[in-house]
Amino acid sequence: MSFLAPLFLLGALAVLGPIAFHLIRRTTREVTPFSTLMFLQPTPPRVTKRSRLENIWLLLLRCLAIALLALGFARPFLQSKATSATAAGGTGKRTVILLDTSASMRREELASTAREKVEELLRNAGPDDQVAVVAFDRSVRPVISFEEWKTLGPGERAAVAGQRLAGVMPTWEGTHLDTALLHAASLLDTPGDDLPHPREIVIVSDLQEGSRVDGVQGYEWPRSIQVTLQTVQAKQEQNAGIQWIVESEETENSGSGEASVRLRISSASEAMREPLAVQWAETKPGEAAAKLSVTITSGRSQTVRAPKPPDATATKLTFSGDQADFDNTVYVLPPETAQIPVLFLGTDPAEDPRGSLYYLRRGFPTTRQQRVEIVAHAGNAPVPGFQLQQAQLLVLGEEPVETSIAAARQFAREGRIVVAPLTSVTSAQTVARLFDLPQLPAAEAKVKDYALLGQIDFQHPLFAAFADPRFSDFTKIHFWKHRQLDTAPLPGARIIARFDSGDPAIVQAPLGKGSVVIFTSSWRTSDSQLALSSKFVPLLHALLEQSRNLPVQKAQYFVGDEVPLPSAAQPFRIRKPDGSEVDAAAESKFAGTDQPGVYAITPGTQRFVVNLAPEESRTAPLAAQRFIALGVPLTNATANLPAVTPEAGARIQAAELENRQKVWRWLIVTALAALLLETILAGRLSRTIGRPATAQT
Amino acid sequence: MAASASFLDPAALMAIRNLELRARTVVEGFWHGLHRSPYHGFSVEFTEYRPYSIGDDPRHLDWKLVGRTDRYYIKKFEDETNLRCQLLIDGSRSMTFGSRGYTKAEYAHTFAATLAHFLDQQGDAVGLLTFDEEVREYLPPRHRPGHLRQLMLALEKPAGGQTTDLIKPLRRMAELMRRRGMIVLVSDLLAPLATLETSLALLTASGHEVLVFQLLDPAEVSFTFDAPARFVDLETGRDIFLEPALARAEYQRRLEAHTAEVRAVCERLGVTLQRLTSDQPLELALFDFLKVRASRGKLARRRTAA
Repeated sequence: MSFLAPLFLLGALAVLGPIAFHLIRRTTREVTPFSTLMFLQPTPPRVTKRSRLENIWLLLLRCLAIALLALGFARPFLQSKATSATAAGGTGKRTVILLDTSASMRREELASTAREKVEELLRNAGPDDQVAVVAFDRSVRPVISFEEWKTLGPGERAAVAGQRLAGVMPTWEGTHLDTALLHAASLLDTPGDDLPHPREIVIVSDLQEGSRVDGVQGYEWPRSIQVTLQTVQAKQEQNAGIQWIVESEETENSGSGEASVRLRISSASEAMREPLAVQWAETKPGEAAAKLSVTITSGRSQTVRAPKPPDATATKLTFSGDQADFDNTVYVLPPETAQIPVLFLGTDPAEDPRGSLYYLRRGFPTTRQQRVEIVAHAGNAPVPGFQLQQAQLLVLGEEPVETSIAAARQFAREGRIVVAPLTSVTSAQTVARLFDLPQLPAAEAKVKDYALLGQIDFQHPLFAAFADPRFSDFTKIHFWKHRQLDTAPLPGARIIARFDSGDPAIVQAPLGKGSVVIFTSSWRTSDSQLALSSKFVPLLHALLEQSRNLPVQKAQYFVGDEVPLPSAAQPFRIRKPDGSEVDAAAESKFAGTDQPGVYAITPGTQRFVVNLAPEESRTAPLAAQRFIALGVPLTNATANLPAVTPEAGARIQAAELENRQKVWRWLIVTALAALLLETILAGRLSRTIGRPATAQT
Repeated sequence: MAASASFLDPAALMAIRNLELRARTVVEGFWHGLHRSPYHGFSVEFTEYRPYSIGDDPRHLDWKLVGRTDRYYIKKFEDETNLRCQLLIDGSRSMTFGSRGYTKAEYAHTFAATLAHFLDQQGDAVGLLTFDEEVREYLPPRHRPGHLRQLMLALEKPAGGQTTDLIKPLRRMAELMRRRGMIVLVSDLLAPLATLETSLALLTASGHEVLVFQLLDPAEVSFTFDAPARFVDLETGRDIFLEPALARAEYQRRLEAHTAEVRAVCERLGVTLQRLTSDQPLELALFDFLKVRASRGKLARRRTAA
């Protein structure tokens, strides 16, 4: 039994109080009036033998309550043998060393300095200590785990660790210090280990401002974990970073065709004296590169337009003028315009505003990302296979021939969407043939004045874009004619929209891997106002998107990001900027973006660009106050704070143990019980003997 | 003093609510007892003649003697020759103490009433003065129908005083009582005695015959308390904690010293001091009174003879 606050045991001396009160007879209760006090002298209260024997149980209860309270306040705890052994030895410390391998560690000699620091820490570890080394940037990679450390002999630990550390090189990734800290805390806080070792996390890092630490906010640190910062400082602290600002489509002046690249250049908090020179890395032979001079104040950022690229294939922009080179390059890949063919099978004249094709051609405006090409097939000639292969959407027009229908069926079965507007009752038979059905019952609906879309499934991807109440008003679109289609024969058909009469308006029926979207009316002006409404273009785009089913591609990624890959029949090979090639399955996410540069996906011509995370450029040192504000238990919050002494460590251990056992609670409860008993007993006694004694004369 | 079976138990007597009835009970019992008493020669001073001198009221001339002897003698009136007794009763707070179920004040009042009744029956004039720190009630000595009743009423008034101050009432008495007579002071005399001597001297110097009855409760004499307690002074309200067993000896010593001092003062002045305890039968108290009177008479005669 040990005590956390043994001085409180002195409180037990208070038991003298009740004992004294019991020895001294009660004085205040009885009052005897007397004629005169002329002849009387006050006499001190007399301690009689008889009174000492009075109410012995009451006295015992009172003493017990006081003693228990004193004991409870002294915070006792039972120290197990193992704990006392380690406490006596002052060793058995568990330490996790976090080694920063982020891109900012590429500056100067930071990486080797950090490695030396780690090696020194390992050498200084006692034989009973347990050390794990974890390298971290965006993710954590164990270098040496506790288990490995335990299996190695005390002599060879440092050597093995040194060997492994030699293989740890700085990567290009960002600094996610919070992830690393939480990982280290979880390593230290292994369940089942109830012995309170002193536990420590040592961060060996340049602690740059761009480190992400917000993740530890609100984390409840175990009490005995201490975090120590071992900062490696670069001698030259001036740094500027460059970032490519990807412009959204709205800001693009696609008309000019010549897109300029916007760059954000930001400096770390130290003053930048010299102007920075921004230029393209690739230059035409014999031609001086166009330079852009940027003067930037410290701690600010500035957005500039890159100088004119020497040719269309230029992707690499560099700047010079600061003292750290690792972040002076940015890769730029202007987005390519995708060619998307859409097949139209039917006899509609292209320039007839009464036909379907006329509006379809105008329904896909060309953007910078994509250019939709409508390929119309009117004749009996079969649709060329490559066209069928490349087309992303198929629309059936008037009177398609049998070969067209077969092509459309094949197209849908391969996983894309065939759009079939029912321009007349006979078109329903086209759909029936598409589904290989003998008959699809359909009739011309009787429409008084006009019909409206009454019920729309906004959950469906086709209408998801209109789900917002601002865009969900379809009442402006009047339908003059439509057909009543019995969807029962179509297996798995889903009615996306209905007319106000309850007849299906848009039906999607699966066919093979793909599906057929049936419009029971059409967008021809003789049928409806749909083509003239503002909903038409988004609706066509939604159809195209759903048919293509492509993952959303970002213009640029950062090192460590996962890149979604498009679907394809065979796996891709991805060529990294350094020339190495990696296999990746289709429709998966490519996670091997470990260096900045342009990545190429084969087969195909698709490329994507990976840049250094802009936060890595913020190399100003992170203030220790930030850690304190986040509640990280720093030992050397102020740099020269002495390390935890063994005595303090033992005290922390004892506090932890006591906090776990909480013996004081039971002591207090027992004391309360004793006081309750005392009250009951005293009440009974005062009832029986409480009558005041009178003078017997 | 042990109470004899033939006497009335004071506790039983005090149970009688009416003071007059109480007094009569005692006196009648006393008279019965007196027949058996050897001390029945009690009487007031007998009438005397003195030669007429110019300035005397001619009404007081003894005309029969003038007719018989032709000499002018003044004859003292009967009432004048009778005893003029003034009762001084202490009504201070200390008199409200009592350990026998009645207080010393009740006992003192009964004693006074008894004495008054007795003297009235003898035809003596009885007056009353009650006092605490000052004079409360004053009735001059008279022998008239109704006077006794008035006296009883005055005695029945509750004592409302605080402290005992013997000086002021005695001085006042000396002023009020011009003619010589007997003064009976009933008090516990539990007060500082610094000026008691001068005050008593004032009375004796005026020619009064002074009898002092020091009335104490038996508990005051023996201090038979058991339990330790806070003892509160009835007059001052001061309280002290006492362990009676420890304090008893010292108390008794100091009480006796006080009493001895009082006695010394009284002896110097020729004042008779008699201690009464409130458990004493009233007949015995009355008997004491008579005994004292008789011895006083002898003493006075001896003094006049000398």
